[in-house]
Formats: sequence, C-alpha cells, structure tokens
Amino acid sequence: MKIANLMKTTAFALAAMSVLGFAAPSSAQDTKSITTVVKISGIPWFDRMETGVTKFAEQNPEMDIRQVGPATADSAQQLQIVNDLVATGVDALAVVPMDPDILEGILGRAMDRGTIVVTHEADNQTNTHADIEAFDNSDYGAALNERLAQCMGEKGKWTTFVGSLGSRTHMQWVGAGEENAKKYPGMELVDPNNESFDDANGTYEKAKEILRKHPDIKGFQTSAGNDVLGVGRAIEEAGLAGKVCLVGTGLPNPSTAYLESGAITAIGFWDPQKAGMAMNAVAKLMLEGKEVTDGMDLGVEGYESVTVTPGAGKGLLIVGNGMVLVDKETYKDYLF
Amino acid sequence: MRFFDGHLTVLIGLIITLMTAGAIVSDGNYLSLFNLQSMAGQVPEIGLLAIGVLLAMCVGNGGIELSGIALANLSGVVAATIAVSFFSASQDPEIFSLIFIVVALATGFLGGLLNGLLIAYLKITAILCTLGTQMLFIGLAVAISDGRSVRVGAPGPLYEIGNGLLFEIPISFLLFIGVACIIGFVLRYTPFGMWLMLNGSNPKAAEYAGFPKNKVIISTYTVSGILSSLAGIIIAARTINVKWDYGTSYLLVAILIAVMAGVKPEGGYGRVICVVLSAITLQMMSSMLNFMGLSNFIRDFAWGALLLGFLAIGRFRLLDLINLQKHAISASVRSPHAQK
Repeated sequence: MKIANLMKTTAFALAAMSVLGFAAPSSAQDTKSITTVVKISGIPWFDRMETGVTKFAEQNPEMDIRQVGPATADSAQQLQIVNDLVATGVDALAVVPMDPDILEGILGRAMDRGTIVVTHEADNQTNTHADIEAFDNSDYGAALNERLAQCMGEKGKWTTFVGSLGSRTHMQWVGAGEENAKKYPGMELVDPNNESFDDANGTYEKAKEILRKHPDIKGFQTSAGNDVLGVGRAIEEAGLAGKVCLVGTGLPNPSTAYLESGAITAIGFWDPQKAGMAMNAVAKLMLEGKEVTDGMDLGVEGYESVTVTPGAGKGLLIVGNGMVLVDKETYKDYLF
Repeated sequence: MRFFDGHLTVLIGLIITLMTAGAIVSDGNYLSLFNLQSMAGQVPEIGLLAIGVLLAMCVGNGGIELSGIALANLSGVVAATIAVSFFSASQDPEIFSLIFIVVALATGFLGGLLNGLLIAYLKITAILCTLGTQMLFIGLAVAISDGRSVRVGAPGPLYEIGNGLLFEIPISFLLFIGVACIIGFVLRYTPFGMWLMLNGSNPKAAEYAGFPKNKVIISTYTVSGILSSLAGIIIAARTINVKWDYGTSYLLVAILIAVMAGVKPEGGYGRVICVVLSAITLQMMSSMLNFMGLSNFIRDFAWGALLLGFLAIGRFRLLDLINLQKHAISASVRSPHAQK
C-alpha cells in the first residue's frame, strides 16, 4: 500500500517536473545580476520605477537586471523576497524597504555574504552600502508645506497623512512640514499623522471622517503616492474643491482629474523612474569596485551632481536633486 | 496505513515535486545548503501560527484564531519594551534574552487566556471574539510602541534563536519541530487531546458525556496564544526589531496552511504533521517562485489554486477514488457533525 502510494507520488512528481522543467533560465556565472525589490508591485509609483529599471537593463545588456516586489503591502512579505533573493546568490540588491528596521537583519546577512546592498527611501538603514535619496527630505517636506501655506492664506486648520508611522521619509516630510508651519501662527495642526497605507480607498474614508470632524479644515499635506487621490476624491465629493487645499506626494497622470478640478492644489514628487535608474547605477558602480564620490554624475537626470555623506551605518548617503512640485498650470510637462 | 491519509500523501508528493522542480529551475542552487537553511528559517513563524489555527479549529464551536499574528506582534512589542527599559542587550545579553522570552510568553498566555475565557464563558463565536481581540492586541501594540518599531537588537541567545544553526539546521526550525511534536503528542495520546477532538466532533455529545468543556476550550486558546508569542519571539529574533504591523498577510496564510493540511474547519479533525508539511510546502513554493523571478501575484494565484485543490481532495476524497482501501480514515472523519 505505502509503496503504491509512494510510486504514485513519484510519478506525480515526475510529471510536474516535466511541466515546470522547461521554465529553467540558464544563468551564466559571469553575468552580474542586480535585483530591485520594491515595497509593493502593481501600483503606479513602482510601475514607473520598473520602467527605469527596464531602461537601465537595456543600457546594460550584459547584466541581469530586474524588479520584483510583494503583492501585498506587508513588510513580512518583502522580507521573504529579500531572504530568497539572498539565497539565490544575486550580486546586488536595490531595495526600497517597506520598513527599514525589519530588513536590517537580512540585509546585514546579505552584506556578510558579499552581496552589494543599495537602498532608497531609507536614510536610517544601517546595513546598506549606499542609500539613495532623490532630495533632502526636510527641504521637500518644507517645500510642500510652504505651497500649502501659500494656498491656505497662511492660516486655518490643517492635517497630515503618512503611508505608515514606520515610513521614515513620510514622517520626515510631515515633520519638516510642521516645522515650516510654525512660521505661520495662524496655522493650526489637527489630528496629525493619519495612516493611509498607500490605499486610496482607505484614505478617502479617513479624509471624509476628518472633513466631518473638522468642517472648517483648510489644508491637507499627504505623503504616500495614493493619498492625494483619496483625499482629493473626498474633497471633491464634499464640494470643497478649490476651498480646501491639498498638497502632497503624487504622480501626475493619476492626479490629472483632481488637479484640473482644483481638488488637488499641487503635487510634489521625484521621478521613481530616475530613482530606480540611480539605484541600479550605484549598484553597478559598486559591483565594478568603483567609488561613489561627492559631486559625481550618476548619468541619470536629477542625479548629475550628487551629495555624498556618511550614512546611518557604514554605508554612504547619496542625495540627488530630483524634487518636482507642480500644480494645475505646470503638471502637463511631467505626464507619467 | 492510517498514517498516510490523502493530505499527507499529497503534501509529501508536493514537497518532492517542489524540490525537484526548484533544483531544475535554479541549476541546483535551490537545494544549496544556504537556501535550505534560509527556507527553514522562514517557516517557523507562520508554522506556529498555523498550529494555533489548527487547535482553534479542532476544538469546534466554529473555532478559529484570527488574533494570532496580532498577539505575536504584541508579545514582541511588550517584551521588547520591558526588556529594553530594564536591561541592556549588549551588557547582559543572557538576562535580556531570558526576560524577553519570559515576558513574551506571559503576554501570549494572557492573550490566549482572554480569548478562551471570552469564548467559553461569554459564548462569543470564535470568529467574532478573535477578530475583536485581534484589534485589541493591535491597538495595545500601537499604543505601547507609539506606532514605531521597537529595537530589540541582537542579544546573543535571542539572536541565536532567530538566526543560529545547530547541526546546520536553523534553531528556530528545530524549535518549531519540537513544539509541533509536543502538540502532536498531546493531541494524540493524552485525554486532553481526545477531549479537544471529541468536543470538536460533537460538542453536544461532549457536554452530555460530562467533558470539562469550558476548560478544554480555555486551555486550547491559551496554548494557541502561547504559540503566537513563540512566533513573536522568533520574529523579533530574526528581524532584530518588532513592529505592530509585521506580517499582516499572515492572518489568512495561517488559515490557508491549516485548511491545506486537511484540518476540518467545523472541528474534530486535524493533524499537526500535515500542518508542518503544509507550511513547508507553501514556503518552498513561494521561494521557488522567487527563484524563478516570477511576480508575487502569481504566488497568490498558485496558493489559491493549491487551496482549492486541497479542498477538493477533502471534499471528494479524490485519493479514495484512486485507492478504495481507506475506510479506516474515512470512518474517523465521518464522525457526526455538530448542529449549532
């Protein structure tokens, strides 16, 4: 009986093998590989980044370059992917951490194993060879808030949204925004740091709650890529387009309708395509054993003259100058 | 004969298939020691949660455990907060680790006990109760940690639990197998195990037979809570940090693992060995898809397909069609169902 079972199992195994077998990619030993791991796949922001990764792959046909990411926004899922990638023996990892702290352990082990680690949006990551930021986060947060203050007439209630409380860059932006708002005594921050989890629907619900709770609210400063869409929809449906100001990180294409209607005042962003290319460019330089120096040109727009300082750990902190802030009048120059 | 029921056979078959297929797609890299260790190191946290789900499902009354990962994170957050504020991880790594583990287990015990008491005495349906306590645990963890991750650091013994190797096998995996063996033994050979299963098969009969029903339910959920906190300890040890929103996707994956293992959601039947193999299968499959560089949406698709396949195996007893000599198993599975 048992033997019959085992034989059936084996037969099944062989059959399945023959089905899966032909999918085997042949990887030559001398091709260097760079894998970009994003927070979550299938959202516009990281789809745009993928175009950059693809472009970089086209420019470097001798390398094996690709992008992966978890299907759900969960740091545990991203951790698993990084774990598996380290086990595959990938030469370099370009990671946009969902939660930098959660990845410290595995990135440390990856570096011990000789893997080059480059991160993005995680300037507190200690276990990385280089962290790349598109711009100085405080400058960006302050710039967003300045635009918001200008729209609000420098007075009134305002609130902030972040992707999650653990998302360090988001916290820095709203933090710098709060600092900037202190210049204007008329501005009153209410219920700050709402978590959006980068989910437009959830943000929409939350923004509606806030509009109900504070009918006199005048401004929103948001952080994650989908937040402007959720908050913009809530503002528009409440008939407050043009009356309530909304400045936040967002992509031009999805925001078009709300920018036109006035529900979104202005969006700020950096081009994830360029960031993806810059991460891969740095990873490539490091794989070649070259040094990244202050004022260097990475060969990517917005990263022509990067600032290089020591990072949180032993690695480097590389800051570009890729900030873009557009409104109804100017967004058309940046359609993606 | 009884040992090889349908699910076990299929799971073993799948593991062999995945090993072979993985080896082929990765030129053997998939079976490298490093990757086997890496995969084994990833299984325990979700596997322990799945065993918790198994216990809750087996005890019947529509039992389910939705608060597992929340309690695991809460245990980690509470333990980290207390241990960090009283001890230094770098100066006394032993005491730090011990305190961390004790506090985490105590938190898991209390959380599980709370679930058990609510379900046994207030007669709240398990799905609602654990959904409620899940939110309670998440809320507590956010409040205690202020929503940030709490740094545990890498104190010697604790770090070893998450990352160390014993005879080239990850310690966390050995711990997981050890716990699975104990739970498996208790379920099979002790009166408590029998009460638990029979209570799930037919709660009414169990009550008339004079089983200590409430005690069984309370102990079951308490054990489940302790398993969650063990998962929390392993998570903390692996990632060096604990955070309240770690592994939000584990909630459904743990249930998926239990159902794939043939645990009957209506209670009364479930095998720990199948849950262990089922967790290993899922891990191997997702690792293999990562090795192949496929989209993670394909992984979700594959998991869904697997789940449906296993439900079909359970529902139509597909293996019985192939092999008609399985009466022994069928008889035990066909025990009368509870009318709630």
